[in-house]
Amino acid sequence: MSGRHPPIPPPTADPSTTTPLRTRFDRRTLLRASAAGAVATAAGGLATACGSAAGQGPGKVAIHGDNATWEAPLQAAGKALQSTAGLQLVPEVIPSLESFEQIVKSSLRTNKTPDLLKYWSGYRLRDLARTGGIEDLSEQWESAESRGWVDPSLREAFTYGGRVYGLPMNLAYWVIFYNPEVFAEHRLKKPETWDDFLTACTRLKDNGITPLHGTTAGRWPAFIWFQEILSRQDPQFYDDLMNGRERYTDPRAERALRTIAGFFDKNWFTSMDVDHNAAAAAVVHGDIGMVACGTWLGGVFAGAGAKPGKTVDAFVLPMADPAARPCVIFESSAFAVTVKGPDKEEALKAAGGWLHPEVATAFAHGLSDGSPNPKVTPANAVIEGVTRQSKDLWLLNRFWEQGPPELVESTVDDLAGMLIEPHSYRGGLRTMQERADEAWKVWREAEKS
Amino acid sequence: MTDTLGTTDAAGPVRVRRRIPVRSPHQAAKTTSTSRLGGPFAGVPWALPALALVGVLLVYPFLRSIYGSFFEDNGFSSSFTGIDNYTRLAEDPIFGRSLLNTFMWVAGTLLLPVVAGLAIAVATHRMRRFGGLAQLVIVLPFAISGAATASLWRFMLTTDGAVNQVLRGVGLDSWAQGWLLEWPQNTISMIVASTWQATGLNVVLFAIGLRAIPRETIEAAELDGATGWRMFRHITLPQLRAVTVVVVGMAIVNSLKAFDMIWVLTQGGPSRSSETLALTMYREAFRLFHVGYGSAVALVLSVIVVASSWLYLRRQMPGAKD
Repeated sequence: MSGRHPPIPPPTADPSTTTPLRTRFDRRTLLRASAAGAVATAAGGLATACGSAAGQGPGKVAIHGDNATWEAPLQAAGKALQSTAGLQLVPEVIPSLESFEQIVKSSLRTNKTPDLLKYWSGYRLRDLARTGGIEDLSEQWESAESRGWVDPSLREAFTYGGRVYGLPMNLAYWVIFYNPEVFAEHRLKKPETWDDFLTACTRLKDNGITPLHGTTAGRWPAFIWFQEILSRQDPQFYDDLMNGRERYTDPRAERALRTIAGFFDKNWFTSMDVDHNAAAAAVVHGDIGMVACGTWLGGVFAGAGAKPGKTVDAFVLPMADPAARPCVIFESSAFAVTVKGPDKEEALKAAGGWLHPEVATAFAHGLSDGSPNPKVTPANAVIEGVTRQSKDLWLLNRFWEQGPPELVESTVDDLAGMLIEPHSYRGGLRTMQERADEAWKVWREAEKS
Repeated sequence: MTDTLGTTDAAGPVRVRRRIPVRSPHQAAKTTSTSRLGGPFAGVPWALPALALVGVLLVYPFLRSIYGSFFEDNGFSSSFTGIDNYTRLAEDPIFGRSLLNTFMWVAGTLLLPVVAGLAIAVATHRMRRFGGLAQLVIVLPFAISGAATASLWRFMLTTDGAVNQVLRGVGLDSWAQGWLLEWPQNTISMIVASTWQATGLNVVLFAIGLRAIPRETIEAAELDGATGWRMFRHITLPQLRAVTVVVVGMAIVNSLKAFDMIWVLTQGGPSRSSETLALTMYREAFRLFHVGYGSAVALVLSVIVVASSWLYLRRQMPGAKD
């Protein structure tokens, strides 16, 4: 807030004024002053509310995100951007997914919107792009691609109507974390086939270790095992289902949930309220065998005292159907530029330099995660191994970014219900399909208009 | 200059009638209100800031929500759909569960913190040495924020949490369960957690009420032979009526707006099984961007809050029956 107030007119001190008159005058003055003060306060409040979206001054551009752990990596990338493009990135974190999304969606049509956004890819980015609130970055993408600074297979996840609306920030692969020391103790090796994976689960269970972590804590993780099992049983069906070309009531979706229910029957899962932080620590301590998550969980493992390659490693879940095209699920956030941001020119310039190898390296190493720029050296041994393993795999976007956002928001709750009552999957899939019918209808109608 | 008072002439001294200004209190009040403070509407400017604040922050949003509930609105575009959002409410199983959970919260909050608060206040009232200390210990959780309380209870209620560990420790393995995972125990568990926090304030209010009971009344009842339950039932409880009205009224409103505890512990899940109307409204309006539908839920919640408070207070407050 600026601290400025409208001037309050001084009372005219006329010695001849009688007492009642002076009283009335003072009251008026006071009222006027109160009104002025109220206006100033309201204006100040608005200024404060919009302050975060104000311009950053020459040479600086703000990027807004929802993840506090990204602040330091963004600062590191900002330093690199300063030397390569002469621009400084100023990270601004709104550490609540709900608040962040609300602020972005409500401010996008105003000139108080942030300049740069860290957003989701896939349909969530498309949802934003079709509001007309974010810039077309096709030129920046093509420039980066021509220099070999970005994996071309990621383009689809950032495209709407043939145009690119975001640049990939990170590249996390969805993998299974495990503790190599615990595996070695039980004569298990890193699973390379589906049978290896099942053998590992069986043996860990026989030795008193809960083989798999599953959870509904925080809502969104409810999709993880459905995504992993379905994509390994039939990646083409996963891709079609996520894009509204197949139905949840299909026997292939039912088979995936039946497989998960089978895992429950064998008591392979943890209770569904163990969050990822607790699960990571439990893997390090040998209480839980495997945790399915994006490679970004590596930071949590490091925090739990794990040593990459020694007490924590990761593998891409092998294909359940060896004849299917091998795949891996990826997750990549979008670097988007708003149309009405106060420093748009500088924001576009920052987008042009975002995938520069120096910037991408600073960011990926700060984050200890994978990079969309193939020229970046992996941040650690775990990332290196997973990147090598994923090199020739079909990259499929994560469940969370697939399909109309309101459908995903609802279906994660349905999947949570099926994790709590694993054998209720038929009813659950029917509900999901009803939601999908409605959501896809709305989505397609909106695309036409 | 003519001296009007002391002047004498041939006709003799002029008698000047001395006028002593005399006003009745009624006249004084009337004069003051009309001429000094500017008429019957003089108070209006002073009330304006408060009226403006309530108007801008409460009345306008409320009316805007009612208007918005007749639209299909995703935050970017909206179309008029009449009462469609309300008919959808009637068919929505999530809304039905949410309504049921809300009534469970009301019933639970009336039953547990109010009864426990009264029992603890009565039990500690006459304790000479540790009564105050006991009340202090019970009141302390009230000083903790709802979100912090919820975080604390999460350590207790998760499957590997303290409650199940204690149960397993004493050999009651079969009682150990996922307290927050399945309905209805997730809602009941959260009501219990909320009781832990809310009881303290009720203890304070009842303790104040108990101290206000005239000593003579108690002594007279004792002389008549009233002790124990009879004393409580026929003397103490009727004397606590005014405090009870406040405590129960607050309990109803607080239970209807329960949010923070549920949001931190389960976010309304799993599978939206522990949502109350407040959470359903939030999720629909701000997570799913069904702004119109969320407004309809908000209106239903507002009607329930206002109607239940009004009915209760109309029945309980003396002289407010008409």
